[in-house]
Amino acid sequence: MSLADPELDADLIEELYARGVTDGLPVVVPTRARVDRAVAASGRGHDELVALVPPNWGRATVEKVAVNAVMAGCRPEYLPVVLAAVEAVCDEVFDLHGVSATTNAPAPLVIVNGPLRATLDVNCGAGVFGSGWRANATIGRALRLVCVNVGGARPGEVSMSTLAHPGRYTYCIGEREEASPWESLAVEHGFAPGDSTVAVLAADAPLGVYDARSRTPEDLLATLAASLAVVSHHKMTHWGDTLLVLSPEHVTILGDAGWSKADVRRWLWGRLQRPVRELLPGRDGGEGLPEHVLRKFADPAHDSTPIPKFRSPDNIKIVVAGGTAGRFSAIVPGWTFSKGSALVFRPIRTPQSGGSA
Amino acid sequence: MSEYLDPTAPVAQPRKTARRPSSLDGKVVTLLDISKAKGDHLLDRIEELLRERAKPKAIVRKKKPTFARPAPDTLRQEIVGGTDVLIEALAD
Repeated sequence: MSLADPELDADLIEELYARGVTDGLPVVVPTRARVDRAVAASGRGHDELVALVPPNWGRATVEKVAVNAVMAGCRPEYLPVVLAAVEAVCDEVFDLHGVSATTNAPAPLVIVNGPLRATLDVNCGAGVFGSGWRANATIGRALRLVCVNVGGARPGEVSMSTLAHPGRYTYCIGEREEASPWESLAVEHGFAPGDSTVAVLAADAPLGVYDARSRTPEDLLATLAASLAVVSHHKMTHWGDTLLVLSPEHVTILGDAGWSKADVRRWLWGRLQRPVRELLPGRDGGEGLPEHVLRKFADPAHDSTPIPKFRSPDNIKIVVAGGTAGRFSAIVPGWTFSKGSALVFRPIRTPQSGGSA
Repeated sequence: MSEYLDPTAPVAQPRKTARRPSSLDGKVVTLLDISKAKGDHLLDRIEELLRERAKPKAIVRKKKPTFARPAPDTLRQEIVGGTDVLIEALAD
């Protein structure tokens, strides 16, 4: 096909939509030449198996991922990031089977750390969850297309989410490491500052939190805790990984006061406890502690035993992102109940970092 | 040669629906609770109805550790090796 043949290109865009292999938006036609350029940029072999993608266990080879990345609009040099994200969501810990099939709404949020953010122009700043950056727009989109076309997560057939959310078009951010007083999310999880990584979280849509007036850690964290308390349901407890996205202005309040990330997590975790008596089903909503938990208490209606919102302080994951102006942060609730999904990391292998090894 | 490459992958294991028995009489029936809230209520009622309306050889109750993941291999093997009919219940 010639690039000088826009009519044929348009016909193929219609054909790909009709085949059900798009996300509803027009795609770039994955010609042999375009796919070859992407595979070459990864430094890996066409037939190299990246992962088997649940729930249908389709074979995601480097070339198959590249086809979907081209369709999503990725530049060739983005392919290593998409490959790392595919590997990450196919880790058993991520539970892509559940993420893709559930009636709940999760989409994999891709968080990029390390030097590749600058190389690929991944947006970490103003409008980080929004539109306008090709890397964020297409890396997340490519991952979605792989989940559908290779994993079989067709909406309304296998993917039975009642509502889903717009992150199922694309959901990819970079951490604004340069505006953080702390080590990055990746370094905190054992990577070196020079490593480029992806982390994936099965996540709901971001919930914005507005606090322009707090100037002390205790005031700001009280605000954030109140919004964290309603993740999933206000009486849901023992929740797992959830992301707190602190804006530069908000994190400055914490950093300037000498608080570490661990201090913040411990404070929030301690604050987010409620007594059994406030967690009964039928009191402030039909949800509440499950029967097998309630059976452990002799008189739940009067029991003051504190029950944590999150299983551990470490389940409150923190990144810094967003524009330098504005006292807004966001909570990205994980789909992370007990035995469910959890945050998963993978290093990004480029030809320069030994990707062809 | 096609004008574009196929973005889909053939699934590793094509699925076939198991053959349905014409009667439940004399069969071992497994009722699988997937651990959704109130799934046990639904299965309790199904068990009652099965005992009223059919003559199964046995009714076996099994439970997945979580609804969010596929059944563990050990549980699948127990079911495959020991049952004629499987009824899996979703609830909420």
